Amino acid sequence: MKEKYCFTVNGVMRGTDEEKPLLRYLRDDLHLHSVKDGCSEGACGTCTIIVDGRAVKSCVLTTKLAVGRNIITTEGLSEEEKEAFVYAFGSKGSVQCGFCIPGMVMAGKALIDRVPDPTEEEIKTALKGNICRCTGYKKIIEGIQLAAAILRGDEKIEEMLEKGDAYGVGKHAFRLDVREKVLGYGEYPDDVEMDGMVYASAVRSQYPRARVLDIHYEKALALPGVLDVLTAEDVPNNKVGHLQQDWDVMIAKGSITRCVGDAICLIVAESREILEKAKKLVKIDYEELKPVTSVQEAMAEDAPKVHSKGNLCQSRHVTRGDAKTALANSKYVVTQKYTTPFTEHAFLEPECAVAFPYKDGVKVLSSDQGVYDTRKEISIMFGWDPERVVVENKLVGGGFGGKEDVSAQHIAALAAMKVNRPVKVVFSRQESINFHPKRHAMEGTFTLGCDENGIFTGLDCEIYFDTGAYASLCGPVLERACTHSVGPYCYQNTDIRGYGYYTNNPPAGAFRGFGVCQSEFALESNINLLAEKVGISPWEIRYRNAIEPGKVLPNGQIADCSTALKETLLAVKDAYESNPGRAGIACAMKNAGVGVGLPDKGRAKLIVHDGKVELYSAASDIGQGCATVFVQMAAETTGLGKEQIRNMGANSEVAPDSGTTSGSRQTLITGEAVRMAAADLNEELKKAGGDLRQLEGREFFAEFFDPTDKLGADVPFPKSHVAYGFATHVVILDDDGRVKEVYAAHDSGRVVNPISIQGQIEGGVLMGLGYAFTEDFPLKDAVPQAKYGTLGLMRAPQIPDIHAIYVEKEELLPFAYGAKGIGEIATIPTAPAAQGAYYAMDHVLRTKLPMEDTYYSKKQKAVR
Amino acid sequence: MGQKRKKRVAVVQCAGGCRAEAEVPRKERTGDCRAMAESSPEGMCKWGCLGQGSCAAACRMGAIRINSAGAAEADREKCVGCGLCVKACPRNLIRLTAPEFHIYSACVNEDPGAQTRKYCSTGCIACGICVKNCPVNAVRIEDSHAVIDEEKCIACGMCAVKCPRGVIIDYDGIFTVREGQVER
Repeated sequence: MKEKYCFTVNGVMRGTDEEKPLLRYLRDDLHLHSVKDGCSEGACGTCTIIVDGRAVKSCVLTTKLAVGRNIITTEGLSEEEKEAFVYAFGSKGSVQCGFCIPGMVMAGKALIDRVPDPTEEEIKTALKGNICRCTGYKKIIEGIQLAAAILRGDEKIEEMLEKGDAYGVGKHAFRLDVREKVLGYGEYPDDVEMDGMVYASAVRSQYPRARVLDIHYEKALALPGVLDVLTAEDVPNNKVGHLQQDWDVMIAKGSITRCVGDAICLIVAESREILEKAKKLVKIDYEELKPVTSVQEAMAEDAPKVHSKGNLCQSRHVTRGDAKTALANSKYVVTQKYTTPFTEHAFLEPECAVAFPYKDGVKVLSSDQGVYDTRKEISIMFGWDPERVVVENKLVGGGFGGKEDVSAQHIAALAAMKVNRPVKVVFSRQESINFHPKRHAMEGTFTLGCDENGIFTGLDCEIYFDTGAYASLCGPVLERACTHSVGPYCYQNTDIRGYGYYTNNPPAGAFRGFGVCQSEFALESNINLLAEKVGISPWEIRYRNAIEPGKVLPNGQIADCSTALKETLLAVKDAYESNPGRAGIACAMKNAGVGVGLPDKGRAKLIVHDGKVELYSAASDIGQGCATVFVQMAAETTGLGKEQIRNMGANSEVAPDSGTTSGSRQTLITGEAVRMAAADLNEELKKAGGDLRQLEGREFFAEFFDPTDKLGADVPFPKSHVAYGFATHVVILDDDGRVKEVYAAHDSGRVVNPISIQGQIEGGVLMGLGYAFTEDFPLKDAVPQAKYGTLGLMRAPQIPDIHAIYVEKEELLPFAYGAKGIGEIATIPTAPAAQGAYYAMDHVLRTKLPMEDTYYSKKQKAVR
Repeated sequence: MGQKRKKRVAVVQCAGGCRAEAEVPRKERTGDCRAMAESSPEGMCKWGCLGQGSCAAACRMGAIRINSAGAAEADREKCVGCGLCVKACPRNLIRLTAPEFHIYSACVNEDPGAQTRKYCSTGCIACGICVKNCPVNAVRIEDSHAVIDEEKCIACGMCAVKCPRGVIIDYDGIFTVREGQVER
């Protein structure tokens, strides 16, 4: 070959004259899309390939350094290897969002090739460079073990499992998307290629707060290959926002920026390379201003206003009974202040969208948590009827709440309409970290009282949230923090004040747990202090106060028949009590469904087409597995198998709106809609003697809505939410203070997919441990200091033994076969349980997350 | 699952780029490393490998050899991590690590960068490019050379690729070329 740099890729000699990261060559030139671009910094491992038998990050290696090497990607695995990994990962539930998976497969293969029978430790070490944010690694490790066993000939592939004839509720169901995610041919937005597609990217503010005096983009515009440069003037309506439209698409000349993620102009260019060059040619004149960096600063009387209406973004006052009197008359009272940090979602797939002119509007291929939400925000920006915007989700590489707001979608749509071509916008990892809303940082003061027997009497608390530059979902998140600050217990006097303030920090919004991670951390810690005063164990005080069916929650809602908090407490009792001085315990509850009087509807449409049932419901599967759950519900109702039901995905043009993937709601709310539609179909199917072909062309639509009462409704027992999930976690430390085991017992009603629910719990627990010990989001004058690799995300060698336990009751809710959500609650009780374990060990009360002076913080410090 | 004892392997922290070779050819050097260290010839790096093979002599596995650059190099396949070489080296250049850390800095000199640049082609000049490019903040400059913290390192190879002097080495020979590869 005449090219300068030649090497073998999947058995074929390849060459190029360009020196660039091998990742870019494999993706852009060879279109090997299994090689994912998660950070391009060497930190995440999604681009792992095999080079001369070694697992290597292709973003680190260059075409020049690859000369003469033998390169393999998942596309180049042998048929035997492909089948082994697909089956093993599907069977063990190793796949969630899937973005890390091809990299995991390659790291696993490189190990198996050297060590055919690897130990758990060896697998963990081999995965050290690969981050997974969904699974907690356990199921990936099991998947690699099984794949190795199959390749050795010790285990066999059971083909019936993937075929899925028995696919109903509770079955060992193989996820729908395993094959495409394991082999890497499933499409995320960044894998989309279209004729004439161009690229757009925003030039973002250099300062968190500065007046934009002038924008000099002439040189960029003059660069060959640059199609256009857009500024705020090109945006029909320059405000977007999930609930409150306070978020400038771009900061106009003369206006003041609110955070470093703010876009100032948007460049559209023929290629990524030209785009990068053009961005460097833009010069912006700023008048730098002092940023508002904390809630305290935002509250100051002379504070600069981040938004014209003032810095108080949202507030809530949740009260019932008479907390003041109850606390005054309590035998024991504890008051304590707690601090929790911002947390980055760190989903493996950075934000990306492809938009192109479509019919009388625009179509957006997206990666988000609600295609109708994205449609709404984009239509507001254009000032259009929503129908002119079509949003379709491709695979979503993790969300955790961080993909509820528009990020890349609206600017892609804007650019596509301007240049009249398909436009791809993909965020760099740092752009993602700087831009999207985080978990709110909290400062809160909690006062909890109890009587001489440890029975809670009342709670008074004041919660301050830093919502950063934009509201995002501040209102509902703050509200959930307030309503859930009471915990899953049974007392009737509460006075809870919550305030969310704007600052110039990056915005904060939805994040798995939705405000409850913060407030229940504080509450559960106070409970331990009360237990100590009363002289009973932390387990005992929780059991004495635990909510049970028929009793009244602190918000007035009567706990329904499915409530199984006590069962979760009993499930972990032995584990807790057999580790004195080393164990911590915490409970949690989390709503399933949006509730609080909102029209939270699930919708599903089934169409019989080509002898199969097509399932239409715009409910984003962000990796948690709801698309599979819906098919399981339909299979349970109709008796059909996986191969006869096709989930058509979330597309606003063809699928009915089934709400946001938020509030742990999809399994219950959309699941019930699917069940209802499937029941109608099943009636007709019975009439047709079970012959699906006779129903060809028939449609079955269902909408599920179970009304709730709004916050503060003047009714004796307001029903805030359709359902609550409950959980108890026990964290056990070793003598060094390292987490050895976590027992996580969950009441999520009926378990639809046992493997998936374990994966949700394990992943949630590891996220909770990160929150407790290692994850932080340091800011310096409102500017994020963390890179992806320094966020403190736990890696495979750090994981403890996580025991996912689910308790299933006889009595269940009459919806969705009795299933309640699991998505968020798994993350909530882990951090307070970990804090309780440390308190049990050294009797130092740690009121700040991530906790200081732990095994983990010492390890971090030792290296600085 | 049974836990295997974690394997350790020796790492020689010098790539042998000292230019003294030209002035005092190795053939003319006599004695073991300790003797050599005492008579340290003019212009020779006072931190790096002396190349007289005391470590190789101490090794019972035949895992250490002196490579063409004149520096000791450990073979991880043969090495059992006993540590005899560590004791044998008068300059404390050899340390033990886990095999997964195949990326390592092969220089411990404490002279200022400008001086190092003069007398050694593979010496760390403390430019800090590795520090800037490490995705997990595992590299720092200490006493004028790069130090990789293995508590944090994920062996991605970014520092090895970016190092302008070839100080940071990939034992696997993927990110940097390794002489041993040719011979194996």
